[in-house]
Amino acid sequence: MKKPFEPKVVAFLCNWCSYAGADNAGISRLQSPANILPIRVMCSGRVSAEMILRAFRAGADGVMVLGCHIGDCHYINANHRTVKRIPLLQKILGYTGINPERLILDWVSSAEAPKFARVTADFVDKIISLGPIKDELKVTHPATPVSLPVEEVVS
Amino acid sequence: MIEEIRSKAAGLLEDLDGIVALKETEMGTGPHLFQKGDDTSLLVMEPRYPVSEITSKLQKQFQEARIGIVARGCDARALVEMAKRNQIDPERLFLIGICCPQELADTCHCAEPFPRTQEWPQAEMIGEPAEPGDPNPLVIQYRDKGLEERWEFWQSQFTKCIKCYGCRDICPVCFCDACSLENPLWVEPGLLVPDFPMYHLIKAMHMTTRCVACRHCESACPSGIPLTVLYDLVRTDVEDLIGYIAGAEITALPPLSLTLSDAPIESDLVY
Repeated sequence: MKKPFEPKVVAFLCNWCSYAGADNAGISRLQSPANILPIRVMCSGRVSAEMILRAFRAGADGVMVLGCHIGDCHYINANHRTVKRIPLLQKILGYTGINPERLILDWVSSAEAPKFARVTADFVDKIISLGPIKDELKVTHPATPVSLPVEEVVS
Repeated sequence: MIEEIRSKAAGLLEDLDGIVALKETEMGTGPHLFQKGDDTSLLVMEPRYPVSEITSKLQKQFQEARIGIVARGCDARALVEMAKRNQIDPERLFLIGICCPQELADTCHCAEPFPRTQEWPQAEMIGEPAEPGDPNPLVIQYRDKGLEERWEFWQSQFTKCIKCYGCRDICPVCFCDACSLENPLWVEPGLLVPDFPMYHLIKAMHMTTRCVACRHCESACPSGIPLTVLYDLVRTDVEDLIGYIAGAEITALPPLSLTLSDAPIESDLVY
C-alpha cells in the first residue's frame, strides 16, 4: 500500500498570541495535525520573506504565519507590516510558479484555541490536496549547516 | 540636445560644487564628478548608467557640498526612492532632468521617460517629454499563464544565473551595507547556480516597493534573465493592493514600513 502523503508545514507563531493559542489548543485537548512544525517568533512582523523562502527551500510543503489580530499586536502595530508583506510574497511565489496557497497568513489570538486547531487542520488538508512541493525546491546537497531539521521532527 | 546639457552643466558649475554625470574617456564611459574648470565637452548621456548611489556617497562624504546631477527619468525616480530612505538630501541636490528620446523610451518600455522635476526643490528639465513606451509584451504574456508554465519559464531562466551579483550592484536603489544576498543564512555561499527560491525571490521581494523600472538589472545581466518581467508584475501588484508607485512622489514613504492608517491595504485580514 502506498504511504499517504504527509506534508511538512512550518508555522511561524507569534509569541504573544498564536503560540499561546497553540498552547491553549494543546491544553484543551483539541486535535491539531502533527504535520505542523511550530517556530516561535516574537512577532509576526519579524517573519521576513527570507525566513519563509528558507522554510520552503528546506523542504516545507507549506508555510503558515500566525499572529495577533490587527489592533491586538503586542507591539501596537507591527503586524500592519506583516499584512502587507505576506500578500506581496504570495504574488511573487505565484509569478514564479509556486502555488501561492502554500503560504498563508492568519490571526489567532491566545484565546482562540479552536481557531488554531481549525486553521492548521484546514491548511494541512489544503497542502495534501496540492501535493508535495516541487522537488527542485528541496535541498539537494547535504552540506547545509543551518538547515531546518524538518525531516526529523515530522517523520 | 547633448550640447544644451553640456552648456547647462558648464553654467551651473559656476554655482554648484560639482555635477555628477557620465564622462567619456579613452578607458570607456563612466560616472564622473565634474568640477569648476573641467571640460564639460566630455559629458555624455550614452550608455545609460545609474548615478544615484554615487551621488548618495558623495553627499554623505561631503556634508556641505551642493551637488548637481544629470538624471534621466529613471535616475530621478531612483533618487526619489533614495531620498525617502535618507540616502539623498534633496535640499543639497540640483537635478538636471533629461527627457529621453522616443526611441529609448520604446526600447526601455518606459512608462515615464522624463523626470518629475516638480518633486525636487531645485530642478530643471531639458528637452521635451517623450511619449511613454509600450509595456513589455513578455509581462502580459506571462501574467496570463498558468502556474506550471510560469514554473517552467522561470526555472529555465534562473538556471542561467551565474551569481555575479550584477543585478544588485547596478541597481540604483540597492544601497544597504549588509545585503541579505550575501548572508550565508539565506544564500548559501559556493553554490552555482544559486539556489531557487532564495537568491532571486529575496531580490524580488526587496524590490517590491523600490523598483523604479529602470531596467538596468536586465541589461546588466550577462545571462539575459528577463528580471524586469517579474519586477514589473510585482510593481503592478503594489500599485493595485497598496496604491503605491515607487519613484513617483518624494513625500510618499515606503508603505511596507508604515502602519495601516498611513498605507492601507485591501485584505480580508484587515478590519
